[in-house]
Amino acid sequence: MTFTDLLNTLGVPMALLGAVIAALLAGIGSAIGVGMAGEAAAGALTEDPSKFGKVLILQLLPGTQGIYGLLIAFLTLSNIGILGGSADISFAKGMLYFFACLPMGFVGLWSAKRQARASVASINLISRKPDQFGKSIILPAMVETYAVLALLVSLLAVANIGKLPV
Amino acid sequence: MAVLPMRRISIYGLKSQRKGVLELLQRRGAVEIIQQQPDSDALSLMDTGAAQSQFAATQATARQALEILDVHCPVKKSPLAMLEGRKPISLQDYQQGLQRVKDSATAAGHIVQLERSREECSAEIIRLQTQLEALEPWLGLDISMRTKGTRSTTAFIGTFPQPMSREQILLGLAQKLPEVKAIEVEVLSALPQQTCVFLLCLSEESPAVETALRSMGFSWPPNPSKKPPSQRKTQLEGWIQEQKGKLASILTEISGYADRRDDLCFLYDYYAMRIEKYQVLSMLRQSRRTFIITGYIPAENAPALEQELQQTFTVFTETEEPGSKEDVPIALKNNGFAAPMEPVLEGYSLPGRGEVDPCTPMACFYYLLFGMMLSDAAYGLIMTIGCAVVLEKFKNMESGLKKSIKMFLYSGISTTFWGILFGSWFGDAVTVISKTFFGTEVTIPALWFVPLNEPMRLLVFSFLLGIIHLFAGLGVQFYQCARAGRWKDAIYDVVFWYLLVGGGIVYLLTMEMTTEMLGLGFTLPEPIGTISAICAGIGAVGVLFTAGRDSKNPGKRFLKGLYGLYNVSGYLSDILSYSRLLALGLATGVIASVFNQMGAMAGGGVVGAIVFTLVFLIGHTLNIGINVLGAYVHTNRLQYVEFFGKFYEGGGRKFNPFAAHTKYYKIREENKP
Repeated sequence: MTFTDLLNTLGVPMALLGAVIAALLAGIGSAIGVGMAGEAAAGALTEDPSKFGKVLILQLLPGTQGIYGLLIAFLTLSNIGILGGSADISFAKGMLYFFACLPMGFVGLWSAKRQARASVASINLISRKPDQFGKSIILPAMVETYAVLALLVSLLAVANIGKLPV
Repeated sequence: MAVLPMRRISIYGLKSQRKGVLELLQRRGAVEIIQQQPDSDALSLMDTGAAQSQFAATQATARQALEILDVHCPVKKSPLAMLEGRKPISLQDYQQGLQRVKDSATAAGHIVQLERSREECSAEIIRLQTQLEALEPWLGLDISMRTKGTRSTTAFIGTFPQPMSREQILLGLAQKLPEVKAIEVEVLSALPQQTCVFLLCLSEESPAVETALRSMGFSWPPNPSKKPPSQRKTQLEGWIQEQKGKLASILTEISGYADRRDDLCFLYDYYAMRIEKYQVLSMLRQSRRTFIITGYIPAENAPALEQELQQTFTVFTETEEPGSKEDVPIALKNNGFAAPMEPVLEGYSLPGRGEVDPCTPMACFYYLLFGMMLSDAAYGLIMTIGCAVVLEKFKNMESGLKKSIKMFLYSGISTTFWGILFGSWFGDAVTVISKTFFGTEVTIPALWFVPLNEPMRLLVFSFLLGIIHLFAGLGVQFYQCARAGRWKDAIYDVVFWYLLVGGGIVYLLTMEMTTEMLGLGFTLPEPIGTISAICAGIGAVGVLFTAGRDSKNPGKRFLKGLYGLYNVSGYLSDILSYSRLLALGLATGVIASVFNQMGAMAGGGVVGAIVFTLVFLIGHTLNIGINVLGAYVHTNRLQYVEFFGKFYEGGGRKFNPFAAHTKYYKIREENKP
């Protein structure tokens, strides 16, 4: 076994590490975010339980990052052949997958936490001014833009790495 | 289609007909009354605050009574009951209902009273039960707990704060009082936290015994019963039974009111209407015998109302064009296609002065963008059918809710359309099912292309859609300026940007680098590049010189122009923002595929089928929920931020007519004009 062969056995583990990081960090971010927003939501409901529907939507907003993370992880797993097919890719490709997953993981983590703070503020807003619901969902949604952009970069990279000749 | 033109209406009438006029106006719900300060000594405002608060109190009683009935005799409501809307009643029914109002108010008061006695009764039962529990350890005693002893003996009836046996007590006393012999001790009960004892000693020795007992932790019981505990127990139990009987009779009495629920609802609504009427009454200018009502009315409703008022009452009415500085309320009127956008628009802000109603252009893009973000044919069909069924079943729904449901209906149709184009039915469910359970691989082919295989293609299409959306927004701005006759603004703020952004984009398409990156199959030829570059140049120079036209100072003007030109970066980020169409569309499909694969992991066969069904149902329900929410939020964002950013400011005040804002009933008018 040459050194190159040895190195190439690390291809799948590296790619898997990337997939796991995307799911892990984005998932942690969303869990923290939805949790924070949930606390504020429960607080708002103690004053007016009829706002449940609106408050629930605001609570769920920071939850999408976790889903995006799952999406990238799943796409990576399926592209490197862990979910059926032959799991045999070179070290270079494994590294490529690893890097491709990073934007979703890190941006997912941070944007979910920040979005949660905007959500909490918005929950306070609609508990005082229930008619401002339209605006209150837009403010946290602005943060999500960056998660969407990170998703896009990771997605385009993961989807196209397979076609590269390395 | 548009913002309804408003007219200011003034109604002059005799006080004797004031009630009739106000009631007619309230039923028609077409006029928003405005408060006007009396402009002469003969006119004054009426203070109705006292009456209003009295009505509010009665209304609160009705609400409390309804809440009490809901607790004690709940009515089963289906979760869809909130869709039903207010119950329509005819004018005759309403007038009949009026006769029962006084009776209903008494009933409501009585229900609230009954609830109070019920609460007192329950509290009394708890109190008696606590006493009964406290008595339990003393049941072994067959004399009164207050017994002090006989002529020559003293009794100690009390407790020690720890478990003690008779022997321990006697030993303890013997150690402390070796000289005292005649002590009789009976342990009535011994629990971990207290021991109840009866102790008898000679009267002359009692002070020494008491000191010794105290040092051992002895204490007298609180509230000793006068009667022997067992008798006291029977007495307490009797009282509890009595209270329980009373409670039961109160509850039957309350449930006896269950069939008055409708009357109570009517009472609530009746007072809601009266409060509103009195609010309006306090806004009217009145003299000794006359009154003046001033308000806004949509121009299209004005003639009919004027005619009806003049025919029914002796009143004089006039309408006039509101002045340009008046704060005229905004009412929108749209066709069935664009009307569902009204609640979305209200979520942002209603059109401000001189702005057009953006519902129609919004609707064209809203459904399109929503469908593209959800983009699954099966999900779309579920939405469409669900909304259609709800709309069909609950015809009487409130209009705001109805519009929202219609919005989801149209969005569902669009979702189905995009799903078919992209070949997504519950993600790749058909492929997975056929492979797992039937051994062959069947795929529903995409009518256009599969986004997951060609994400770049969808990304480019998303950008294209974004550019169209933004340009449409600029187009509305152009229309707005042109309508107001501000042609210069139209050219400076719209045409120059069209040239700059449009020219820039076309120029990019003539460069091989861009077209290759975007995966387009073509590159525009050189001459078009030159023309587009010239266009972009004209646009840029135009913006540079006109963006700062508000400032007089040429230096400031130039800097502002530069800043205006910097807005190009804004257009870039706006266009990039449409990449969410791709991201969210893929998210739906990929998550659906994840669930399908998870379901298929148990393999074929009966067990596999059961597992698959379960995972399929739960997973796809979850996916629909999450992605409908995502699509809704992000479609709104694209409308509010990117689209409205190009032309819309808002800030209008909603038209809030004087009407019957009731909660349970809606009065139907047979002779409505």
